Amino acid sequence: MPQLEVQNLTKRYGKTVAVDDLSFAVEAGRVTGFLGPNGAGKTTTMRALLGLLRPSSGEALVEGSSPVEMRDPLRTIGAALEATAFHPGRSGRNHLRTLAAAAGIPRSRVEEVLGMVELSGAADRRVKGYSLGMRQRLALAAALLGEPRILILDEPANGLDPQGMRWLRDLLRDQAAGGRTVLVSSHLLSEVAQTADELVMIRDGKLVAQTTLAEFTAGGANLIRVRASKLEELAAGLGEQGASIERDGQEALLIGGVGGEQIGELALARGIAIHELAPQQSSLEERFFELMGEEEEGS
Amino acid sequence: MNLLRSEWLKLWTTRTTWVMLGIGLLGEALFAGLYSGLASLGEVERELGEAGIATGVGLLMVLMLVLGVLIVTTEFRHGTSSSTFLASPKRYPALLAKLAAALLVGLLAGLAFVAVNGGLSLPLISGRGGDLPASSDLVSVYAGVVVSFALLSAFGYGVGAIVRNQVGAIIAAIAFFFILSPLPELLPGSIGEYFPAQALGSLHGHQEGDGVLNQVTGGLVLTAWATALVAIGTLLICRRDVAD
Repeated sequence: MPQLEVQNLTKRYGKTVAVDDLSFAVEAGRVTGFLGPNGAGKTTTMRALLGLLRPSSGEALVEGSSPVEMRDPLRTIGAALEATAFHPGRSGRNHLRTLAAAAGIPRSRVEEVLGMVELSGAADRRVKGYSLGMRQRLALAAALLGEPRILILDEPANGLDPQGMRWLRDLLRDQAAGGRTVLVSSHLLSEVAQTADELVMIRDGKLVAQTTLAEFTAGGANLIRVRASKLEELAAGLGEQGASIERDGQEALLIGGVGGEQIGELALARGIAIHELAPQQSSLEERFFELMGEEEEGS
Repeated sequence: MNLLRSEWLKLWTTRTTWVMLGIGLLGEALFAGLYSGLASLGEVERELGEAGIATGVGLLMVLMLVLGVLIVTTEFRHGTSSSTFLASPKRYPALLAKLAAALLVGLLAGLAFVAVNGGLSLPLISGRGGDLPASSDLVSVYAGVVVSFALLSAFGYGVGAIVRNQVGAIIAAIAFFFILSPLPELLPGSIGEYFPAQALGSLHGHQEGDGVLNQVTGGLVLTAWATALVAIGTLLICRRDVAD
């Protein structure tokens, strides 16, 4: 049974369709990246999974049932939705204490998560004075409070410095390695590319692709850039073998559809000297933008 | 119980509650002290007969109403409603805990008012040789004040839950209570006595006269108003989306 599942989820606000007949499932023991441009419907989907909004149609399920029916919610799901959702006049420690009290979580756990996110020193300051990065870490601490089986994090990397990013990646991987379910959204592939095992990509509220990161990485058109002494002759020969040929500037070709061995053998047979033979992987980011459409909305 | 503890903690971990109660009680101390100590004795005794001992109760009444509104609307204003309802996905348990916290803080403020008012007014008036009301009258007025603070806070919770926008809810609650209150006097018969501000007056034990509700009925009428608003507001929040 998938830990998190949306089935034909649709959410309309008046005439705007935020999420449009979306279905996907998230399994335990891995990090699932939830990708899409701003406004794609990521937050709406996550809020539906948390029972904070009711779908116009379809369902959002947690461990097979409605999130509203969760019996021990903070030990089931930990969520970090937005880094601004704190009372500015309350200290970080007291924010966590109110949440801990609601779920009967001991105070020692508050100190523990404060230590984990390295906020112990600032815990008595009012949130008003926190930087965006500190707020993100406080939101993460809140999510981790109940040692939940499932983590739902909405753009947790926003505002984190490079060290914070690395810390976050390690944390997410540890959580997944411990058998937990991690769903983490981002509008930037690069933020999740080093962490996610699985990718769910949406755009305009619709599913674009659900794939493993490995498949996504391997799926690019594999072109080989070639420079050689007799470029025209090589191109003609490769054309006979059915390769696709594109010019890459004056002195190089981009060859598709044949492997490096074939190119090398052909060159040897025809007495052509190879100057360069370089496999090109189209960057993940390029492929991501292709899928998501050219322009990235907002930001 | 956990949820109530959480709401109680929320109430006291920002400055708002402290500041509001501080201002209210300080204001009451000044008012009761100056009035009972300096106003002419005849004036004081006449006032005691008409409006009872609870001089200057109006300030804390307004503050209790506003505090009740804030208990709900602050969460929507700052987006903490999401984390609150994550801990209580059915929502109504957390909301009932909020209501309980609102009632409790009202009772607490009422008792603090009685302590300040009684601690200053009674010795000052009797020290100047004035006549104090009968102790049964004192008890009924003070009890009315304590109950009314709790009900005002609950009333504020109800308006806050319905309106959700903080400024809008404060304006709505105050307008409903204090600005529209003369309006029912224009209505035929005794319908006007069943409006919240009039019922509150009865609960406080003044405005004695023809066609005025007695104290207990006034309290029940105000309870009915608060209950209706609380029920509507709670239901609305349970049904609406928690947008942010």
